[in-house]
Amino acid sequence: MQTKTRVNAGVAATGALVLMLAGCSTGGGDTGSSSLTIGSMTVPQSLDPAEAMGSALPYFQAVYDTLVKREPDGGYTPMLATEWTYDESLTELTLTLRDDVTFDDGTPFDAEAVKANLERFRDGGGGQAQTLALLEEVEAVDGTTAVLHLAQPNPAMLYYLSDAAGLMANPAAFDGDSLTTDPDGTGPYELDKGRTAVGTTWAYTRAEDYWGEDLPYEEIAINLFDNENAIVNGVRTGQINAALLQDVDQQAVAETDPDVATQPQAIDYQGIILFDRDGHITPELAEPGVRQAINHAIDRETMLEQLRDGQGEVTNQIFGTESDAYDPELDTYYDHDPERARELLADAGYPDGFELTLPRMSQIVTDPMATSLQSDLAEIGIDLTWDNLDQGSALNSIFTEQAYPGMVMNNAQLAEDWVTVTELVLPGTFNFFGATDDTIEDLVETIRSAPEGEAADEVRALNRHLVEQGWFVPFYRMTYLHVSDGTVDVEPQSGMAVPSLYNYAPAE
Amino acid sequence: MSTSVTPSTPSTPSTPGTAVTSPTAPTGPKRRSGTARRFLTSPQALGASLVLAAVVVLVVFAPLFTAHDPNAADLKDAFGAPGGGHLLGFDSSGRDVWSRLLHGGRNTLGGALLAVAVALAVGVPTGLAAGYYGGWFDSVSNWWVNLVMALPAMVVLLATRAVLGTTVWVLMVVLGVLVAPGFYRLVRGTVAAMRGELYVDAARVFGLRDSRIIVRHVLVVVRAPVIIQGALVAGMAIGLQAGLEFLGIGSGDLPTWGAMLNEAFTNIQRAPVFMLWPGLALGLTSAALVLLAASLRDVLEDRGTAPATGRGARRLGADAPTTLDSAGERADLLSVRDLAVTYTLADGSSREVVHGVDLDVRRGEVLGLVGESGSGKTQTAFSVLGLLPEGGRVSRGSILLDGTEVVGSAEKEMRNLRGDTVAYVPQEPMSNLDPAFTIGDHLTEPLRVKLGLSRTQARARALDLLRQVEIPDPERTFRSHPHQISGGMAQRVLIAGAISCDPDLLVADEPTTALDVTVQAEVLGLLRRLQAERGMGVLLVTHNLGVVADLCDRVAVMRQGRIVEVGTTEQILRDPQEDYTRGLLDAVLDDTPAREPWQPREAAQ
Amino acid sequence: MTSFILRRLGSGLLLLVVISALAYLLLSLPGTDVGRHVLGPAAPQDAVDAHNAGLGLDRPVAVRYLDWLTSALQGDLGRSWFTSEDVSLALANRLPVTFSLMIGVTLVTAVVSFGLGVWAGVRRGAVDRAVQLVSVFGYALPGFLVTLIIVLVFAVRLGWFPAIGYTPFSRSPGGWLATVTLPVLSLSVAGIAGVAQQVRSSVIDVMGRDYVRTLRARGLPTSRVVFRHVLRNAATPGLTVLGMQFVGLLGGAVIVEQIFGLPGIGAMTVQYTTRGDIPVIMGVVMVSVIGVILINLLVDVLVGWLNPKARVA
Repeated sequence: MQTKTRVNAGVAATGALVLMLAGCSTGGGDTGSSSLTIGSMTVPQSLDPAEAMGSALPYFQAVYDTLVKREPDGGYTPMLATEWTYDESLTELTLTLRDDVTFDDGTPFDAEAVKANLERFRDGGGGQAQTLALLEEVEAVDGTTAVLHLAQPNPAMLYYLSDAAGLMANPAAFDGDSLTTDPDGTGPYELDKGRTAVGTTWAYTRAEDYWGEDLPYEEIAINLFDNENAIVNGVRTGQINAALLQDVDQQAVAETDPDVATQPQAIDYQGIILFDRDGHITPELAEPGVRQAINHAIDRETMLEQLRDGQGEVTNQIFGTESDAYDPELDTYYDHDPERARELLADAGYPDGFELTLPRMSQIVTDPMATSLQSDLAEIGIDLTWDNLDQGSALNSIFTEQAYPGMVMNNAQLAEDWVTVTELVLPGTFNFFGATDDTIEDLVETIRSAPEGEAADEVRALNRHLVEQGWFVPFYRMTYLHVSDGTVDVEPQSGMAVPSLYNYAPAE
Repeated sequence: MSTSVTPSTPSTPSTPGTAVTSPTAPTGPKRRSGTARRFLTSPQALGASLVLAAVVVLVVFAPLFTAHDPNAADLKDAFGAPGGGHLLGFDSSGRDVWSRLLHGGRNTLGGALLAVAVALAVGVPTGLAAGYYGGWFDSVSNWWVNLVMALPAMVVLLATRAVLGTTVWVLMVVLGVLVAPGFYRLVRGTVAAMRGELYVDAARVFGLRDSRIIVRHVLVVVRAPVIIQGALVAGMAIGLQAGLEFLGIGSGDLPTWGAMLNEAFTNIQRAPVFMLWPGLALGLTSAALVLLAASLRDVLEDRGTAPATGRGARRLGADAPTTLDSAGERADLLSVRDLAVTYTLADGSSREVVHGVDLDVRRGEVLGLVGESGSGKTQTAFSVLGLLPEGGRVSRGSILLDGTEVVGSAEKEMRNLRGDTVAYVPQEPMSNLDPAFTIGDHLTEPLRVKLGLSRTQARARALDLLRQVEIPDPERTFRSHPHQISGGMAQRVLIAGAISCDPDLLVADEPTTALDVTVQAEVLGLLRRLQAERGMGVLLVTHNLGVVADLCDRVAVMRQGRIVEVGTTEQILRDPQEDYTRGLLDAVLDDTPAREPWQPREAAQ
Repeated sequence: MTSFILRRLGSGLLLLVVISALAYLLLSLPGTDVGRHVLGPAAPQDAVDAHNAGLGLDRPVAVRYLDWLTSALQGDLGRSWFTSEDVSLALANRLPVTFSLMIGVTLVTAVVSFGLGVWAGVRRGAVDRAVQLVSVFGYALPGFLVTLIIVLVFAVRLGWFPAIGYTPFSRSPGGWLATVTLPVLSLSVAGIAGVAQQVRSSVIDVMGRDYVRTLRARGLPTSRVVFRHVLRNAATPGLTVLGMQFVGLLGGAVIVEQIFGLPGIGAMTVQYTTRGDIPVIMGVVMVSVIGVILINLLVDVLVGWLNPKARVA
């Protein structure tokens, strides 16, 4: 393995004891570039697809295949399903399945398996179960044809089938909870239980007779870390082949090391989601003028420069650059203009400002961010108080008790507009007060029932409307850095921080 | 047991720690001011105190030293360089670093203080009560202490924080509770040990209330170790704050040095200089606390760092012997001329405690060296052995031991003389046996090292020695540890050890003072017999003229570091020339009515 | 001796049960919404409730604790609420890591600090001051800074040792040594200071004892007196501190484990306690309490061996 040789090289000079170590550690037995070690900070709750989340997808992709494959650019290509067609009403999705795939115990992968998996995912109580909420029923027409009946059109259905919901496990293993640590899928790798220590290392070895094209590595290990400092050191010594860095300072460290290959990608944006557009908690926020004022008050350029070392782009919109809804103009819709902000506040009837309390999780809202938002808002008369929340209780206070009018979040910018619309605009998760207006309702209806790619104007209009209404206060898109020890080429995945497992290949 | 001439407790002069100051014979209040002076003259203590004082002043009066609000931030200034009234520049939020350092110190040190206060409040009273009263309260609190000490600190800290909130104060209160057992054990141990001591009993007899006894007597004793422990806990609390910040278990919005360090860590590439100031503040403060604790301990336990002497202090001194032509004829076994012993005190000054002593011991002769405590007789005896306590040295004179000059000789030469030329019988039997080894080990070790005997030979010889000193069950005593035998037995063992390598000269330092009266007589008889059988010369250091009468051929009387009178035992006891000697004699006659008046025939034996 | 050990183990068992109850209560107090935490913000409330009910979180704390205790007594520590890992297995995987560090640090600290402490205590003077200064320096430097520097220099720049990770001894003894060397070094820096101070102090104390003079008066060489007699009598306080440090390392190695990416108990403690993963943390609590009990017992037995007076019948 690359790691060991490099570690050994330096040892030569350091005396007998260390020489002895060197001698021993070459006995590790790994060969060439056919093994890949990925450093990760995301942990899967289990390896049962019913509990899968998109953020931990690579752990699952090793052992399971999805119905649809999502390409790095966000496009969809065949995987377990070779073809898919919608009916006129966009509520029936017909999948044509491969007929040459079986699970390890010989159980064939067929329409019944698809039905079993999708319905289990929908009803299994996993974190993303609601992505299949519109799925009424799966009809197994014959062995290779499955029809998904939807309650209403869902333009993001293919996205979900290429994500957690699309992971196909062996229905024979559904009884009990064996899948949590003993995954049973049709994927390119098997979990190597001997070398896996859940919570620390997940080790995979190539599956024999994989139905599809083999991935380039014999072995893959995903190592979990709780800080990027260790990951960077691991990459610098070649003990980790590839990883993603979010922290700007660690990015800077990686960039100073000539042995580390880097590749930037703008994935998440950071900003305030204002939940309380109807003024349940903070009545002032019901006024669009107030929300616009907040948008004008924030000095995004300075924040980007100081908080992210200038690594990123300021933005006022929640839709990503790869989506149909993206409109470059909207990135700079609100300039930093405290004067205008004060006018807007006065026009809305709050010339003296008001008090605003937001939750603070120190992982996201760092000191500099907390103080700068406070002082930016103070300048227009808004008195911002941060409630320090413990990691354990934060989600509970925010989403279960719904105690705050908004929160600062890092959000992915997906290529698939409808996922963004579902999560952030429609009543639900991040719009738990159910705010809406006529324009939004009209546009959403049109977009929902439009065939693929035919509602681009409408999503762009929706995007503009949301920006104008000040539903959100986005700051900037953050640049993340893919790093590798030089032995791996990583192709970033659109809208996904951690690339798909298919995107790694030995460097040329 | 002790006569009016020796008012101090018997153990005091023989513990070398106090020997440095014992020549000055300090009493209670004087000693305390001496402690303060020694503390202030120690450069380490002074330096540490000054650093701490400076930090505390800067932090407490922070608003006087900085005009900036530690939380006032302008993101545009972030990472800004020093200048324009901002002494140390700006942090990553655009806040004034100097101001945060000062105000952060308030929270950091305040937190540490809180932790110490909580630990004291919990640990000291319970420790006092448990140690003083014992019984069920002691058992219950011991059990609780074991429980607290077994708690995984990190889990408790994190869990309490989740319940009580994310501030540094909560963490420090919890820390205080977690370290309280340290104080508890310290106080309880000290108090339990002194509970039975005489003066506490006496206070009880006088009808003092428990609370008053605790405050007046007990607290005074535990004060020093508690202060030391407190300083260490404060240092630990400061370090822990930084550690927790690093783990993301922060102090919330409060500025602390730990938070600043963590901020520095998250910007280590962009602004490595951020590490400097909080690191320096934190490092200096905790270093000062540890050094302060160490100096305090040294001072309280009377161990100056022995300036400029180092190893030489425990040798006989590098000074060459001074031979005097006028010294006259010198005895063949031991001849001391113009011996002066000087101590270097902790503050660097010197003090001569023996001023030009002349002594002679001929082969087979027993010389009594008498004088009250502090007269320098023990110092003279130690000089002969080459074993002056730390800080002391022979500053002048000559000591001829069996024809070999001892003054200025190397430790190795001196060591060759010890055991078979000169041997030593100490005063306090118990404290002169290593508690970790059996009596057998004590006797066989010198035999094997000095005489090169085999294990079995040494064992046989040791058993024989035990028989010679009239120990009833030599086999069992051989296997016993020192704490398993009586004081009289222990003294016999020490005498056996002293004669094990057939020495020519025995230096016996108050060999019976610490023993019961009946045992005293037995041990004296034993010494007399062994001396007669072996024809040893003996230098007998004592304040007890009864002992002198029993054993000695000649007597030298010492006072304030000088020999005031020398003569045969009969001369001195019957017809003392000096008032001082007469005073000593009178004191014996007044104070020991139990003993028969001296009869000449005893000496004649 | 045997009865003493048995008695101690018996009272330890009681301690274990009481602490487990206290810890369970304490960990339950924050009322972390596990379901919400696991399923994330997007999950509907009924799914969150169902998830919590599935974990038995809808029942009173006392009932949950008794449940936990019953299974624990049967050797089943349950599964993590957040990562589904089997707690016993996770502890079995992570204990060797932390244990390696503990043993290594204790050995290094013991050898170096006893050496330094004796040297300083016997020689005094300049040596004493130098040793004091060095150990104070080690104590005053923030631990994580020392660790970061050690990684950067010896792993990243010089490449002598791996920067992260752990190789089990069973897989490769050499690899094991290579992966634990730097963490042990980092952890020892601060520990040495404390123990050396303690040893120095008690060496000075013992050097001044009457029996040391008497032993020297017998003509024994100073070195023999120091190493046979002084060291043995001075060892007790040093050993006690060493024992306490050893115990402290169970949770105290967190920072070093994080920086070296070592999958040990310490890093686990912080992560899982912050999340409120009670089954895992209870496992950690049990392990560490058992560790404390055993170490205290070991220290007491050692002290009794060194110091016959302290021996218990």
